[in-house]
Amino acid sequence: MTGWETVIGLETHVQLRTASKMFCGCSAAFGAAPNTHICPVCLGLPGALPSPNGEAIKHAVRATLALGCTVHAKSVFARKNYFYPDLPKGYQISQFEEPLATKGSLTFLAPERGLVTATIVRLHVEEDAGKSLHDRFPKATAVDLNRAGVPLIEIVTGPDFRSPQEARAYLQTLKQVLEYIGVSDCDMEKGSLRVDANVSVRRPGDTALGVKTEVKNINSFAYVEKALGVERDRQVALLESGGTVTQQTMLYDAKDNAVRPQRSKEESHDYRYFPEPDLPPLVLTPEFVAEQQSLLPELPASKRERFVAQYGLPQQDAAVLTAGRSVADYYEGVVHAGAEAKAAANWVMGEVLADAKDHAEALRVPAASLAQLIGLVKGGTLSHQAAKRVFGELANRGGDPRTIAEALGVIQVADSNVVAGWVSEVLAAHTTEVTRYRTGETKLMAFFVGQVMKASKGKADPKLAQRVLEERLAP
Amino acid sequence: MSVTPDDVLRIARLAELEVDEDALPVLVEQMSRILDYVAQLSTATGSNGLRPFVPGPDAIRFRPDVVNPWPLAVGPDKLAPAFKSGFFVVPKLGQFEEPEAS
Amino acid sequence: MTEAKAAADRLVKVKRLNALLTPVSELRKSLAEQAATARPTGVLYGMPVAVKDNICTLEFTTTCGSKVLEGYRSPYEATAITKLKAAGALIAGKTNCDEFAMGSSTEHSAYGRSIHPLDKTRVPGGSSGGSAALVAAGAVPAALGSETGGSVRQPASFCGVVGIKPTYGRVSRYGLVAFGSSLDQIGALGRSVHDAARVLSVISGRDPKDATCEDRDPLRLPTVPESLQGFVIGLPREYFPPDLDPAVRRACDRAVRLMKEQGAAVREVSLPHTQFAVPTYYVIAPAEASSNLARFDGVRYGPRAEGATDVRDLYRRTRGEGFGPEVRRRILVGTYVLSAGYYEAYYRRAQQMRALIAQDFRNAFDRGVDLLFTPTTPTPAFKAGEKLADPVSMYLSDIFTVTANLAGLPAISLPVGRVKGLPVGGQFIGQAFLEDEMLEAAYALERVVPATEEA
Repeated sequence: MTGWETVIGLETHVQLRTASKMFCGCSAAFGAAPNTHICPVCLGLPGALPSPNGEAIKHAVRATLALGCTVHAKSVFARKNYFYPDLPKGYQISQFEEPLATKGSLTFLAPERGLVTATIVRLHVEEDAGKSLHDRFPKATAVDLNRAGVPLIEIVTGPDFRSPQEARAYLQTLKQVLEYIGVSDCDMEKGSLRVDANVSVRRPGDTALGVKTEVKNINSFAYVEKALGVERDRQVALLESGGTVTQQTMLYDAKDNAVRPQRSKEESHDYRYFPEPDLPPLVLTPEFVAEQQSLLPELPASKRERFVAQYGLPQQDAAVLTAGRSVADYYEGVVHAGAEAKAAANWVMGEVLADAKDHAEALRVPAASLAQLIGLVKGGTLSHQAAKRVFGELANRGGDPRTIAEALGVIQVADSNVVAGWVSEVLAAHTTEVTRYRTGETKLMAFFVGQVMKASKGKADPKLAQRVLEERLAP
Repeated sequence: MSVTPDDVLRIARLAELEVDEDALPVLVEQMSRILDYVAQLSTATGSNGLRPFVPGPDAIRFRPDVVNPWPLAVGPDKLAPAFKSGFFVVPKLGQFEEPEAS
Repeated sequence: MTEAKAAADRLVKVKRLNALLTPVSELRKSLAEQAATARPTGVLYGMPVAVKDNICTLEFTTTCGSKVLEGYRSPYEATAITKLKAAGALIAGKTNCDEFAMGSSTEHSAYGRSIHPLDKTRVPGGSSGGSAALVAAGAVPAALGSETGGSVRQPASFCGVVGIKPTYGRVSRYGLVAFGSSLDQIGALGRSVHDAARVLSVISGRDPKDATCEDRDPLRLPTVPESLQGFVIGLPREYFPPDLDPAVRRACDRAVRLMKEQGAAVREVSLPHTQFAVPTYYVIAPAEASSNLARFDGVRYGPRAEGATDVRDLYRRTRGEGFGPEVRRRILVGTYVLSAGYYEAYYRRAQQMRALIAQDFRNAFDRGVDLLFTPTTPTPAFKAGEKLADPVSMYLSDIFTVTANLAGLPAISLPVGRVKGLPVGGQFIGQAFLEDEMLEAAYALERVVPATEEA
């Protein structure tokens, strides 16, 4: 696609992981039977009033800090007025002129441009709407208000992305940061992370922005890339054929991999924002903000750098180990329990993550046990293969590594006298090969080691066997 | 500074209020009367740039994050004009409107 | 039990006033049930209190005087109601009011107008007209009303009873159906200052369910003072304009004389932005109302228009059919002043003017004035139908009351005389959260003023 530069900005809505909703004490948990997490407030009953959730504000402030934003000591809630069946009050409590935070940034690795810093123009707090289901009943819409009132933060970037791939990479980094600080699980399938994108194109070198469209209804990270690609292509085709791009909202259809305009008989919304009269200003003391700052864990980028420096790991490995906080913490647990850093890295990236993948991301073997297991391999008590078997047992049944190894009968013999005995047996039985080895066919070492393993029924420590063989075969 | 019938119809659409064709002229007249009356505020000097006044507490006091819903004496099925299989039911959106992607 | 029956009987006797919306049979049954379970140690034990129909109760319906909530039974009750019940009071039915509290005469109710107890051709005032009429007729000793622009004090003045509006944030609004959120407060009406104040005291105090309710203990009632020695009463000249009804002026002058006789110092003050108060109010209140009433859409509760073709049609017809003309006008005005292109010129400007109006009061109080005294209304009760042709003429009857709502200050109206047999009220406007001083002055004046004498 030559001759055009793509410009993308993203608006992300993230549900905060609180127990109760933003403005009432109903459960904010996902997945309950419809209309069972409701009360006068989130039902929008006459006379009900909002009561702000302190934990949601704390989560929001931590998010702003993790994204390097300026947190405003005073911000104001505002009403965004519009009518829709799943918006019980006929307005959403959000923030408008005085948001919680502005001017942050997030650096991420763009596939082609390397490290890119996206600007976070604003981050504000608001409440979620309920869900409208259009296919549940014929000719009618079903409304479930469980989600109405769940706390959200909205994160708005500048027009900083130059490709659909970049947009996706930013989102994955954003998800990682927000998961790290524990404010959300950022699950696009569950709807705890939702994205709307602004897309425009222009000629390279142009400083003015082209007319942008808004793309909505994108339900996974993969679809982010697809949807934005489709819209960009549509705009380019339109402009190349002499047409102009109209500012409108496009809905992505994953089934067809197409975008369609959201046609509406009405004019575009006039939300008539005004400050929420049912809520005083949101005032944050410096102590409050400092406390949230102190509660921030080490962020992914810093952790990755530290792993490289502290554990001598290559960037790629450090990136895998720090992708998620629980794995990173686990890895460090293994190292602190005594395992050697690189061996631990290989085990975690290999066996541990493979097992986790099949068991709902559970890290089933305790860090201390894995450290012990790694020690047994290092010390020659177990072969790597044997250790993998022991790992499997530890994962399924728990227990102690050495005990399991003994029960499985896989403890390697590292007693040099015993190994020497087997070596003698083998050398005596294969005198021709001994001669051949001594006349230069050193690749026969593998054969001898194999024979020692056979003689020992797999129990010999192959490294020890090889050392003894080398000594005995030396001319 | 009067309002036109088009203004009133546009505002009525925003407010989701049906306005009777017959009632429109009187409504336009009354709205104009009221808006002309309140427009005298623009003649007042000295209020520009002043911080708006809102009574009440100076700052939000936070509610602890505990699941403790304020009770409803009856369930939504008893309140709603139309309720089926656990959902509120409304007629579908019109043919010219796509869902507000939420 | 006998008290419950007597209360019901008294209410039945004044049916002609159309002040009570609750059917009598339902009322009797509920009063009997409530009497059986009322807390005997409560300070209001056995006191029947009628409640304006825009305050949510578990007993009876809550219609706000509107068809859009016809038959609506709230599944929760207002905090003020919970507190009344905890004090042993009986909820003695729901009273008629202007639809969604929008009006100054109770003529804008979808359930018919209420009638002035002393003159059936006149209005009892509004929007808490039903509550005021019942108290004035002796059917209940006290009632709850609500204020946004004077809707407790004005009907109190028209009907010759006491009406108190607390400081904004003194009483929880949880369960008060919102009209103008930054102006609304639940208020109390009573035959005497003491009755109204007792009720106000019980319903006041902190409520975590209302973020605009201040974190304060309930109002402590003062004792009746021996005199008004030490009180400095300010008379704002803008509330005594040259064209003030002479009879109203006479009644207020008499009240002021009596206050002086009791030892009060009286001073003239000025609240220069008073002339902008009514237009300011009629921008802010409709704006907030247009948003507060958006929830009435026929989706989750209340009646729903039949045969809607799609959801927009459902909204438009439910709301178009359900709201009366005054409410529709205010929603349209409110939507207009918040809309793109007009927000700055109207809403923002009005909130700034509001700051000036609040500042006027602060200046007066800072100069050593403890309380202000003014007529409550420019005239006594007007005739039904008199002010319906021009909406603005109805608004002008709020001219002396809206300022206290705009500034968030407490105010109390008490009867100070009669004009051709019709009651006239005078009001004190107090400093924020200093209701006790205001009540002291009211007690002292009440004790000596000839409230039922011609001025």
